[in-house]
Amino acid sequence: MLEVTSLYKSYRNHKVLSGVSLIAPPGECVGIVGSNGCGKTTLLSILAGAVRADKGSIRFHGREAVGHPKVFYEEAAYVPQENPLMEDLTVKDNLSLWYQGSKKRMEEDLQTGAAAMLGIGEMLKKPVRTLSGGMKKRLSIACALSNHGSVLILDEPGAALDLECKADIRNYLEKYRKEGGTILLTSHELSELSLCTAMYVLKEGELQKIHTGMSEQQLIETFRKE
Amino acid sequence: MPMCLVYWRLELKRAYQRFPQMFAGATALLFLAGAVALLAGRALYGDAAAGRIAVGVVMPKEDALAKQMISMVSSLDSVNSMCDLQYMEREEGIKGLMSGRLSAVMDVPEGLIQGIMDGTNPTVRILMPKDAWLESRIFQELTRAGAEILAASQAGIYAGNEMYLSSGREDKIPELERDLNQIFLSYSLPREDYFQHRQVSATGDVPALVFYGISAYVLFLLLLAIPVSGYLLPVKPALRQKLTLAGVGSLCRVTGRISGLASLLFTISLILGLASWGIWGAKNGWDKDFFGGMTALLFLLLTCLAASAFVVLLYQAAGTLLGAIMLLFLVVTAQHFLAGGFLPLVFLPSGMRGIASVMPSAILMDGVKLLITGEWSVLAAGKLVFLCLGGALGAVILEEWEGRKGL
Repeated sequence: MLEVTSLYKSYRNHKVLSGVSLIAPPGECVGIVGSNGCGKTTLLSILAGAVRADKGSIRFHGREAVGHPKVFYEEAAYVPQENPLMEDLTVKDNLSLWYQGSKKRMEEDLQTGAAAMLGIGEMLKKPVRTLSGGMKKRLSIACALSNHGSVLILDEPGAALDLECKADIRNYLEKYRKEGGTILLTSHELSELSLCTAMYVLKEGELQKIHTGMSEQQLIETFRKE
Repeated sequence: MPMCLVYWRLELKRAYQRFPQMFAGATALLFLAGAVALLAGRALYGDAAAGRIAVGVVMPKEDALAKQMISMVSSLDSVNSMCDLQYMEREEGIKGLMSGRLSAVMDVPEGLIQGIMDGTNPTVRILMPKDAWLESRIFQELTRAGAEILAASQAGIYAGNEMYLSSGREDKIPELERDLNQIFLSYSLPREDYFQHRQVSATGDVPALVFYGISAYVLFLLLLAIPVSGYLLPVKPALRQKLTLAGVGSLCRVTGRISGLASLLFTISLILGLASWGIWGAKNGWDKDFFGGMTALLFLLLTCLAASAFVVLLYQAAGTLLGAIMLLFLVVTAQHFLAGGFLPLVFLPSGMRGIASVMPSAILMDGVKLLITGEWSVLAAGKLVFLCLGGALGAVILEEWEGRKGL
């Protein structure tokens, strides 16, 4: 369960978030949409603990995370838009970093955990730089979930991926949600947004709840509404 | 295992993946550095400085006495140790001077010995090239000193003769002349004994060849970063964010990169050391103490760490691959010049000499010099530690600043 209350953030005189609040219960996939530059990435970075909010509260299962980096590290599994991977190392090396060198935990996850579901076991020895965009994204998700965090935060997971890769990622996210995981994602693509059980539009620093299953035209009109 | 240790282990692995590139770069740089050192050495000291002074002697025809005297002069230790006297015709001597084959020509006049005996002292003309260089000047000083000794001995002989003549003891004159000749000759023969022997070199306490070897090695260490530039760039923002969240902060990331580069430099240096040992051993016999033991290895490691910290600071400041390579090349070359790496400090303006000692190249060169001479110094080690910590601190501050930009 993720509870966000009255989150504020500004860069110099530019207000990015003005009192954002939302709740994402377990088993839910919350989608955040909005025009480019509206602050979606900033919001997700704050929820992952990578960027500090000016004001507000973020709770994971009731634990306050603001001012407690350890809570962010334990609860949030953050996958930024750009893959946070060490390109010249192998898949296994990258995993070993995020599993803090614990072979046992890594092997378990490769057998039965998120890494297994994402099909990481088949590419362990490959250098990351030789992987396709889709494989890199799957690896990024596996690395993010190495902490078994309760909330998976994804910033445009399908960006620059081919249709097959997008479908793979979508299938995995659907499975993750059905098993009780919480997902928070931003996207510009309807196919990804179709996963969402709740949707918000971020406009002028504020979140407004909208209906799920909107058409592209309806979404565009929502962005344009005063 | 702490996250930072895992990260360092992976950084070392990343670094050693670049070893083939660094090895290839090292080979190319060695050729380049060797050529630069050789050219610089020649430009400063020329080829002839280590050779002897060639002097042409033009003798009057059929003057056996003069020839005998010149032969005696050429056998004097002070002359023989430096000069090669060659008898020739005047025209040949002039040609030799003009072509640079001769440093001077002695034109001996007719009746030289008789003139010395009767005090008329005919002039021995010494011809030198218009732009007389080191060898010609040395010869000039040598002949001036010889003329002064001759003048002193003549004055002594004339004074003695005068004294014996005035006291009516002419029979003693030959004995007096023989004694005085022997006394003055004995002064002139071992003349070097009267000087303090002290070798003075622009390159300090090491010979020019060793100095340029050290300078080339330091330049080599610093520029060796170019083939592994991809490894030295700061991590991408997304990875930096994630690493920071996981507790791998700026200090851990920067020190990881410094250790990785230092390990590569240390390995390459050891290979170079082994190769030098092999070449030296094949020529001069195998020396077990060539590597100087554990202290030398620690000093080498410290030198590699200091060089790496300086390089990582430059890469951190540049931020991009091309910018980093250009910055590294420009800064390293400029500060190496200011540190007296290309031209020894004595050749630089006095204003520049003041800042030389704080240049990274000067600190590294002092460290390597100690490795060669084996005279360990706490001050030199302290300077290396200072460079290492200073470079690392600067890079950490820049990395931290970069990370906080978006916060």
